[in-house]
Amino acid sequence: MDVEQLVTAFITAALPIFLISASLYVVRLIKGPTIPDMILAVDCLSYDVSLFMALLAIYFRSPFLIVGAISLALWAYALDLYAAKWMEGRELGE
Amino acid sequence: MEQLILLAGMALVAIGVFCDLVGSIGLLRFPNFFVRLHAATVGTIGGAAYPLLGAALMAAACDFLGSARWFVAAGSILTAVIIILTAPAGSHALARGAHRMGVPVEPKVCDLLEEDRGGRR
Repeated sequence: MDVEQLVTAFITAALPIFLISASLYVVRLIKGPTIPDMILAVDCLSYDVSLFMALLAIYFRSPFLIVGAISLALWAYALDLYAAKWMEGRELGE
Repeated sequence: MEQLILLAGMALVAIGVFCDLVGSIGLLRFPNFFVRLHAATVGTIGGAAYPLLGAALMAAACDFLGSARWFVAAGSILTAVIIILTAPAGSHALARGAHRMGVPVEPKVCDLLEEDRGGRR
């Protein structure tokens, strides 16, 4: 088995398990009794999707998918900070 | 040598798959928000940052991607470093905001932060 077949088979085996855990995060996102629970679920989901895009960039042989992964990781951090600021003071700056 | 790098990358991604599943089950099953933060750490650092380093190693060993494999590897390493630096800071800010907001801590053994602030959030 050469490298290309091995990598493709490995990613094909790994992606369904990532999909299962992503769907469990979505269950928490919908159930989430409080707002911070939902924010936490969205965080985990977006970090998951950024890993997903890195693996898909190898799987589909299209390297430009990785650009989206970087901005997703940064977006999750911005969401954290804005949500925390809103929860503390009920305002997002003057 | 390239096969060794490929195997190391695959091992990191496999560990990440396991950690991600454990983190998502913990996020679903744990009783309150502050305990769920612990499961979320397993899901982000163990389930996203380390597998991204593994994906970088895998991409560096993939000859069939041509010279674009270095682009994928560098992007994966950059994303992993961003997650390692920002995920702890973000979750600390979120925990502070949630405690100030009055998110219930149930079941509670002791809440020293609430006692320090004189019983108010």
